[in-house]
Amino acid sequence: MLIPRRVKHRKQHRPDRSGAAKGGTRVTFGEFGIQALEHAYVTNRQIESARIAMTRHIRRGGKVWINIYPDRPLTKKPAETRMGSGKGSPEWWIANVKPGRVMFELSGVAEPVAREALRRAMHKLPMKCRFVKREVGEA
Amino acid sequence: MSEVKIAAEQRTKFGKGAARAIRREDKVPAVLYGHGTEPRHLTLPGHEVLLALRTANVLIRLEGAVDELALPKGVQRDPIRGFIEHVDLLLVRRGEKVTVEVQVTPVGDIAPGGILDQQLITVSVETEATHIPTGIEVDIAGLEVGKQIAAGDLKLPSGTTLVTDPEALVLHVTAPAAEPVDEEAAESAAAEAEAAEAAEAESE
Repeated sequence: MLIPRRVKHRKQHRPDRSGAAKGGTRVTFGEFGIQALEHAYVTNRQIESARIAMTRHIRRGGKVWINIYPDRPLTKKPAETRMGSGKGSPEWWIANVKPGRVMFELSGVAEPVAREALRRAMHKLPMKCRFVKREVGEA
Repeated sequence: MSEVKIAAEQRTKFGKGAARAIRREDKVPAVLYGHGTEPRHLTLPGHEVLLALRTANVLIRLEGAVDELALPKGVQRDPIRGFIEHVDLLLVRRGEKVTVEVQVTPVGDIAPGGILDQQLITVSVETEATHIPTGIEVDIAGLEVGKQIAAGDLKLPSGTTLVTDPEALVLHVTAPAAEPVDEEAAESAAAEAEAAEAAEAESE
């Protein structure tokens, strides 16, 4: 699972969920991809789960790119704890994904296989997504 | 490649308010520059521009406010809805040599048992502005594992010269990766669970 090796601050503020993705909105490495249509915090477990769903469907063929990285910690206070006494302990690692971001890319397989693989991966993700293809024909 | 005629209007109001007003009318703000001339701000019809930009390196003949030939240099799109927000147009002249990115399309099927890994989707070529190739086809029929095609191996149309490094790898055929080993994942998950349990026991 993806986890940062070292971070500057163990406990951080929750990242901003507003706005759209500024970059990484097009398929650049592979031929097909999954594009986020909503904001979401995607955990490292969800990323891994989506990757496994995808790679199991394409079996040995194809190549997968993961364009997001869960570099932000989220904390949680234990259950039945009174308020105060400091911030909770880090519980999850998340990637802050904004609408338009292409999160996964795939190449080396036929389109019907890629569609099905990415559809299976989309079920593991916490937001509405769509299948996108590499666009050509513009600067 | 044929030209696409698009009627251009002069744009006199600037800023995000004016640009949004233009987009509400299903038009696209654009800017035209090149050859050391002052940038000219234009408004183009939205649907025509959208259709024209479906073709790579489309040659646009602007009519109306200006009478020039142009190539799209930069296109800004809405990442979700896909409509065009702004277009940068580069002024070109007939017979002028321009450097453009041309798509490389593999044709045929590689030998069974390999995976095609295309490293370069486009290559940079220098060509005449009015004769830009729509794409470069590369024959990969029967290409076996370990074989590769470099930029210098591509067959370019006449009048076109390669700008990309000729030794740059365009595509190669690799052997498929080993089957994903689920046992490893299961083992690592079990180890993680054990570690977590141990940590909990210590904290208690």
